[in-house]
Amino acid sequence: MSVDLTVHLGRLTLKNPIATASGTFGYGLEFAEFVDLSSLGAISVKGLSLRPCLGNPPPRICETDAGMLNAIGLQNVGIEEFLGEKLPRLHEARATVIANVWGDTEAEYRAVVERIGDDPRVAAVELNVSCPNVVKGGMVFGNDPAALGALVAAVRPATRLPLVVKLSPNVTDVVAAARAAVEGGADVLSLINTLVGLSIDIETREPKIGFTTGGLSGPAIRPVAVRMVWEVRRALPHVPIFGIGGIETAEHVVEFLIAGANAVQVGTASFRDPGISGRLVRDLARWCERHGVERVSDLTATLKTRPRPEKAYV
Amino acid sequence: MVVNEALRILRTVRYDAAHFSVFLQAGSIAAAAKPGQFVMIQAGDGLRPYLRRAFSVADVTTVAGVPGIELVVRAVGVGTEALGRFAEGTPIPVLGPLGVPFPIEDLKQSDRVALVAGGIGLAPLVLLARRLAERGIPADLFYGGRNESEVLKRPDFERFLGAHRCRYATDDGSLGKKGRVTDIFGAALDAGTSYRRVFACGPVPMFRALAAILEARGVEGSFALESEMACGFGVCLGCVLPGRDGRFHTICTEGPCLPPTAIDWSRV
Repeated sequence: MSVDLTVHLGRLTLKNPIATASGTFGYGLEFAEFVDLSSLGAISVKGLSLRPCLGNPPPRICETDAGMLNAIGLQNVGIEEFLGEKLPRLHEARATVIANVWGDTEAEYRAVVERIGDDPRVAAVELNVSCPNVVKGGMVFGNDPAALGALVAAVRPATRLPLVVKLSPNVTDVVAAARAAVEGGADVLSLINTLVGLSIDIETREPKIGFTTGGLSGPAIRPVAVRMVWEVRRALPHVPIFGIGGIETAEHVVEFLIAGANAVQVGTASFRDPGISGRLVRDLARWCERHGVERVSDLTATLKTRPRPEKAYV
Repeated sequence: MVVNEALRILRTVRYDAAHFSVFLQAGSIAAAAKPGQFVMIQAGDGLRPYLRRAFSVADVTTVAGVPGIELVVRAVGVGTEALGRFAEGTPIPVLGPLGVPFPIEDLKQSDRVALVAGGIGLAPLVLLARRLAERGIPADLFYGGRNESEVLKRPDFERFLGAHRCRYATDDGSLGKKGRVTDIFGAALDAGTSYRRVFACGPVPMFRALAAILEARGVEGSFALESEMACGFGVCLGCVLPGRDGRFHTICTEGPCLPPTAIDWSRV
C-alpha cells in the first residue's frame, strides 16, 4: 500500500506533514549533511528580523527533565543576509521554505514581510508573535488578542504568500488568540511556541538562564500542545493548523493529527538528533501502512471524546 | 564528514569514584577526529538526561584491535553519571567529530609549545600530545587541579612528551607544586622558556588567568572552550560566549578551540 502523505493547509500544500520548527533548524542548510532537505514537508527557518540580531548574553540554555529552557533572544542574520545568502541555497536544495519573522514593533513586522513580498522561493511566511525571550515584540503581541489581530491585519497586505501565525501557549485562552489571528487575516495557525519557565541554581540562588526566565520545550510540553491544538481545532474547524511541541516519534505526529493538526513542526528533537525529521517522514509512512491509513490527512481531527460529567460525583 | 549513528561501547575503565574512560567503536570518527574536536553523546534513556552531552575526543585508539575513540569523563551530573553506567556492547547515539580543532598544522619541529590543563580539561590534550609527538614537535605539559584526586594519572603524557616535560601543581600541594597551574606556567616563562603557542583546556578561572598571562607576554594561545550546548552543530545558539568584538561566539562551530583574545573574559 502506498500512503498519500500530502497535506493541504489552505493554499499551502506540503508533500508530507513533517516540517521543522523555527529556532531549532537554523537556516536549514546546517542540516543538509543529516537530512535530505527536499524530503521534508517544510522548513521554518530561524526567526528573521529587519536587521541582524545578536541575541541575549549567556547562559542561554539549561536542561530540564524531558526538555530544556532557552532564552536565545532571537539571534539571527537579518532578512537581507537570509535573502541574499541562505535562501538561494535552500531553493537550490529544493527545500520548502517557511520564512519565520519577528519585529519589535508592528512597523518592523510589516517591513520584514514586505521585504519577502511574494518571493516565489518562499512557500509561506510565519509570524512569531510568541517568543518569550525578548523584551519587546514577540509575546507582547501574542498575549493580547486585540494587539495580535491588529498586527496580523497590518502585516497581511504586505504579502500574498500564505500567512502562518505562531501562537503563544502563555495565555489563559488560546482560542481567543487563534480567533484574533484568523480575523486579522492568518491563513494557518502554528502552535505552540515555548512555555515560560524558570530554573534555579539552588546553590547560588541564581536563575540558570541569563534572561532569568526561558522558554520550555521538549517532550515535557507535548500534552499541553496537544490539548491546545484540540481546543483550537474544536473552535475553528476549518483553520489549518501546524501542531508543535515535543514531537520525537511518528506516534507523536499521529497524536497531533488526531487532535486536529494538519501538519506538525518538529522542534527541540532536532538538537538531539539532527536526522530525526527525515526519519519521521519515513516512520510516519510506515505507521500509516501498518494501520491501513491511505491518506495521512484522514487522521486530522479524528479524536473520539467521551462526554464529560456535568457535575462532580459526590 | 560528521557521523550521526549509534556506536557500541567497547570498554569502560574506571580510575576512581569520579573519573572513567569510555571507549567507543568509532572507526570513521577515529579516522577523522583532530585534537580539540568533540562528539555529542546521548546518555541515559533520552528523557533524563534529555540533551546530548559534548565530550572532547580524548584519544583515538584500538581496543582489542577494534578502532575507537576514548572519552575521559568526570561524573558531575545526570549525563556523565548515566554514561558511566552503560554495559560494554551497548550502542549509544553519537554525533561527530565536531568543531574547530587546535591549530597545529603550521607547527614545525623547531617550535616549542605548551599544554596547560586544569582537572578534567586534560581530556582534549591527550590526542594533541600524541599528534605533536608523532610530528616531533616538543611540548611541555603544565597540569593542575585542586588536589591529587583531580589530577588524572595519564602515563601517555610522559610517554609522548617525556617525563621531564610534565609538571604538576595542586592547590593543596598533594601533587607537584603547591599552587595554581598558571603559577607554574608563569614561572616557566619567567625562567626564560618561550613558546610558539599555548594549548589549554580547563575551568573558566584558569582560562581567565592564562589569557591574561599570554596577553601580557604576547604569546599565542588556543583554548578548547566549554559551554553548555544543546545541539553541538551551530543551530541552537545556546553555547555562545561573549566576544571582544561585541558579538557572541558560537562555541560549537566557531570553537571549541579559539584564541583567548577572541573572548571577553570580563563578561564570562
